[in-house]
Amino acid sequence: MALLDIENLAVSYGPVAALRGVTLAVEEGRITTILGANGAGKSTLLRAALGAVAPRAGTIRFAGADVTRLPVHKRVAAGLSLVPEGRRILITMTIEENLLLGAHLRPDQGAVRAEMAAIYDRFPNLASRRHMAAACLSGGEQQMLAIGRAMLARPRLLMLDEPSLGLSPLFVERLFGLIAELNRGGLSMLLVEQNTGLALGVAHHAVVLELGRVVMQGDPAVLARDPRLQEAYLGESAEPAPQPIPAA
Amino acid sequence: MIAQQLVNGVMLGAIYMLVAVAFTLAIGILNFLNFSIPGLFMVGGMVTWALLAQGWHWSIAVGAALLAAAFVALLVERLSYRPSRDADPEVPLASALGFLILLENLFVIRYGSDQLSFPALLPDFNWRLGGLVIGGAQLVSLAVAVALVLWLSVLLRRTNTGRRIRAVAESRETAVILGVDVGRLVPQVFVSSAVFTAAGGVLFALNYLQVSATMGEGVGFKGVAAMIIGGMGSIWGAILGGLLIGLAEVLTIGFLGADLVDIAVYGLLLALLILRPEGLLGRPAAREKL
Ligand SMILES: Nc1ncnc2c1ncn2[C@@H]1O[C@H](COP(=O)(O)OP(=O)(O)O)[C@@H](O)[C@H]1O
Ligand SMILES: [Mg+2]
Repeated sequence: MALLDIENLAVSYGPVAALRGVTLAVEEGRITTILGANGAGKSTLLRAALGAVAPRAGTIRFAGADVTRLPVHKRVAAGLSLVPEGRRILITMTIEENLLLGAHLRPDQGAVRAEMAAIYDRFPNLASRRHMAAACLSGGEQQMLAIGRAMLARPRLLMLDEPSLGLSPLFVERLFGLIAELNRGGLSMLLVEQNTGLALGVAHHAVVLELGRVVMQGDPAVLARDPRLQEAYLGESAEPAPQPIPAA
Repeated sequence: MIAQQLVNGVMLGAIYMLVAVAFTLAIGILNFLNFSIPGLFMVGGMVTWALLAQGWHWSIAVGAALLAAAFVALLVERLSYRPSRDADPEVPLASALGFLILLENLFVIRYGSDQLSFPALLPDFNWRLGGLVIGGAQLVSLAVAVALVLWLSVLLRRTNTGRRIRAVAESRETAVILGVDVGRLVPQVFVSSAVFTAAGGVLFALNYLQVSATMGEGVGFKGVAAMIIGGMGSIWGAILGGLLIGLAEVLTIGFLGADLVDIAVYGLLLALLILRPEGLLGRPAAREKL
């Protein structure tokens, strides 16, 4: 059975249909990537999986349980964790407090300090400024903090929404290294990316969304050679974002 | 003389500080200018008075008054804040103001609108220090106010609950994504804010030995002024603002006369806002919340 099982999911914002019957499965231990133009519904899919937007129709199963009606905090406690688009670091709080907020729902608070130390070892830039407001971090450092924060929730599925957006090439390289490394450690991931080439390189399974529907999915190596995908997302001549279509 | 005035000002300021912190919790975390707070201040003083008049022990009277204020605050959350959370910000503000008027009138109907004399709970004890005289009630007020504020700051800095509250204050959306149960946290914030205010009302009664159905009004406005002076949304700003207003008030009475109190206090507010629009400890961004 898949770790995350989404069936016929439909989400609307008022009259705008963002997802129109999406069915997909995220397998345990793998990286699944979701590709698609701006406005295709990728962020909405992650938010719905987390419970931050309510679906109009469809079911979401996580780790064998129906979570469709569960509030976000119960899903986070169950092991779903999101690194949101734009990172959403709390800039009035310190780096350490941001990390602690990742772990606030865990019953085993005693283990958190040791895991935090491991995160500081990995990111010395965070360690040296742990008691400073997170506003002092660069974009790349903030992304590392957002991932560290999500990891401290001890997720079974880590969802990342365009983590490479706005990062320098150096940080993009570090980011994808980290993603591959975490996955080798057994972590399942759902990765939304603009950087289609890198995402296809690291993923085990790829899903392409268009206007709220799954239009292609399969082996990333096969998809990478697909002329339709190349034309739409891999080439220089990426199409402008399609306009949202109102719900019927 | 002036040292004595300073002492008296700090004592009065401790009460404003509690009210200002209550307003700050509501505005900083819930983005809600909770105009029912002066009513909760009055509930603190009046319920204590009414139960003492019934012959209850002071500890039960005060405890019941704080509980009553917490209960009213939960009603305000349910009936005023929650239904209009997605409406324009004026809507919950107006309905909270409605709550204040309703509360005051209920107490006027039951107990009349006159000043009622509050029994002296503490023995008439004065502590002399050099030339200073510090009353027992003043001392208790200061100790209680400082203890409450310290408790709050430790809670906000050092506990998961505190970090959740501050996350909601900065960005409700981000807090939700991180798994903060906002639906449970918000009533808790209302209750804390009510306990601070009602404790202020009890301390006021203890110090000035009188209560009335409208006792919250003057103090409520000064609490708002203290919050603005300190910097909207900043707890330490509210503490500083409360102390400053208490000092300004007492010093004005001492040197310029009681008629000028409001002119001095709100003049100070205006002058500070012109010099430092974000308040003493406020961040400019925090003001966007209004
Ligand atoms: N909060 C919102 N309110 C209204 N419409 C929204 C909101 N968020 C997203 N949308 C719309 O839903 C569609 C899908 O958006 P989104 O999931 O953000 O796409 P993507 O992440 O693929 O760029 C778009 O048409 C977008 O305009
Ligand atoms: Mg998006």
